[in-house]
Amino acid sequence: MRPGVTPGPLPVTAPDASTPMARPSWIAPLLAALAPWAAVVLVWELAARHGWISVALFPPPTAFVGYLVEEKFSFGLGRDAMSVHWSIIASFLRVLAGLALGFVAALTAGILISMSRAASLLTLPLVRGLAPIAPIAWIPLGIVLFGLGNPTAVFIVFVGVFFVLTIATVSAVSAVDPRLIKTAKTLGASPRHIWLRVIFPAIIPQVFTMLRLNFFGAWMGVLAAEMVGLRNGLGALIIMGREMFNANLILVGMALIGASGYAVDSLLVFVQRRVLWWRPDAQP
Amino acid sequence: MKELRCVGVGKVWPSARGLAVEALRDVTLELADGEFVAIVGPSGCGKSTLLELIAGLEPVSSGHVVADGVPVRGASAERCMLFQEHSLFPWLAVEDNVAFGLAVQGVPRAERRARAREVLQRVHLAPFARHFPHQLSGGMKQRVAIARALVIDPDLLLMDEPFAALDFQTRILMQRFLLEVWEGFGKTILFVTHQIDEAILLADRIYVMSAGPGRIIDHVKIGLPRPRSYTSPEFNEYRVRLTSELEREVLRAYAREEVA
Repeated sequence: MRPGVTPGPLPVTAPDASTPMARPSWIAPLLAALAPWAAVVLVWELAARHGWISVALFPPPTAFVGYLVEEKFSFGLGRDAMSVHWSIIASFLRVLAGLALGFVAALTAGILISMSRAASLLTLPLVRGLAPIAPIAWIPLGIVLFGLGNPTAVFIVFVGVFFVLTIATVSAVSAVDPRLIKTAKTLGASPRHIWLRVIFPAIIPQVFTMLRLNFFGAWMGVLAAEMVGLRNGLGALIIMGREMFNANLILVGMALIGASGYAVDSLLVFVQRRVLWWRPDAQP
Repeated sequence: MKELRCVGVGKVWPSARGLAVEALRDVTLELADGEFVAIVGPSGCGKSTLLELIAGLEPVSSGHVVADGVPVRGASAERCMLFQEHSLFPWLAVEDNVAFGLAVQGVPRAERRARAREVLQRVHLAPFARHFPHQLSGGMKQRVAIARALVIDPDLLLMDEPFAALDFQTRILMQRFLLEVWEGFGKTILFVTHQIDEAILLADRIYVMSAGPGRIIDHVKIGLPRPRSYTSPEFNEYRVRLTSELEREVLRAYAREEVA
C-alpha cells in the first residue's frame, strides 16, 4: 500500500472505555421516564387520602389496581364476561392487522400511482379527499358494511392509515434523490431494478414514520368502535364500567389503553430503528 | 471502447414558462481509448449537462454522441457516471454498494460479493466492506463510488466534479488515488471540474468551456510528465494561460448578464 492512499480514520469510534464509572446507558432515560409517572400517582393518591377528590367517582391507582386483582382480571357476568388479557389481545390484533394491511396496500398503491402521470392525476384528488376523514368518522359506515365484528375494526384502522400513507408514499417517491436514480441507470439498472432496488428502499423509512404518526388515530378509531358496537376489547371494557356505574372499571380500562398504546408505539419505534438502521439521525 | 465522439452537440432545456434555455451549443470533442481528458469551465456552463448527454441519461437536442461508431441511446453500464456526493445507496453496506452493478446483471450473490471484495482490496477499502456509507468520510465514500464503477468494468468513467465537496488535503489524496486507478485499471476518464489546477494535474488534454450557452472555446494538451507538481514552473505556465482565459470568459458572461 502506498502512503498516499492509506484509508483515513473512521469517524465512528468504539464507546469510550475511558470513563471508569460507566453506567449502562438505559438507566438514566428509564428513571427520567418513571419519575413524572411516580409524581402523578403520588399526588393522585394524596388527593384521595385527604378527601380532596371523591374516591367513588375518581378512584386512585391503589384502588382500581386492587380492584383489578380482586376481580381476578376478569369483568362482567355470564355471556358478557371478558377477561383483561383477551380485551388487550383483541384490541391489539385489530390495530396491528389494520396497520399492516394499510401499510402494504398504501406502499403498493403509492408506487403504482407514481409510475404514471395519468394515474396520479386521476387518483390523487380522490385520495386527498378521503385522507382527511378521521378513522372515527368511518365507524358507522364500517358497521353498516361489515357488521359488529373484527372486520369492522380492521376496516377502520385500514382506512384510517391507507389514504394518508398513500399520499406519503407518492410524495416520498418524488423526493428520492435523482442522483441515486441516475447512478443506478449508469450502473446498468433497468426500470424494474430502479423501482425495486432504489426507490423502494429509499422510501420505506419515510412511509414507516408516517405509519407510526398515524397509529394513535387508528388506535382511537378501534377503541371508539369497541365502545359503540363491538362487544369486546379495551373500549368495550370502559363502556361496561360506565353502564355498571363502576368507576374502578372505567379507570382500569383507561390505564390499560394508555399502557397498551405505549407498548404498540414502542414496538413501532423498535421496528423503525431496524428499518432505519442506515440512518444515523433516526429519531424515535 | 476505442473512441467516443461528440459532434455538434446541443441541448435545450424546456422551462416552466415555455421559455427554452439553451444549455449547450455545437459541442464537438473526442476521447480515445485509455485517455484522461478534463473539461474545465465556470459554474453553469453546462459541463454536467454534457456528461449526462454522454452517459445517455438525457437525449441530445441536436448533434450526435457516438461511442465506437454507434449513436448513444439511453444509459448503459458501458459509461458509468460518478457524481459529486450522495451517490452511494445509504441502505447498502459498502460491499453491497460496490456489488450493485453486478446484482442488476443477475450475478449470483456469492460471486458478486467475491468480486466486490476483490476490487475493494485493490482500492484499499477491504476493512470497510461491512460499513455503511454514513460511517465513512467523504473521501472514502468517493473511493467506494469509484470501486462500484470499476467492478462492472465500464469503458468510460464520467466524473462530475467528484472531489469538489472534499477538503484540500483529502482532494490531493484522491487525485493521486484516481491516477493510480486510471493507470492500474486502464480506464478512459472524462473528468469535469471547475478547478484549473485539478485539470492540469490529472489530464492528458483539457477542453475549456464558456457559459451561456456552453461552448468549447479552447483545447489544451498538457505536455507534462507524471507525476506532476502543482509548484513547477511548467505547471504554472498552463495555469496562467487557462486562468486568464477563464477569467475573460467569466467577466464577459457577467457583463452580458448586467446588460440583460
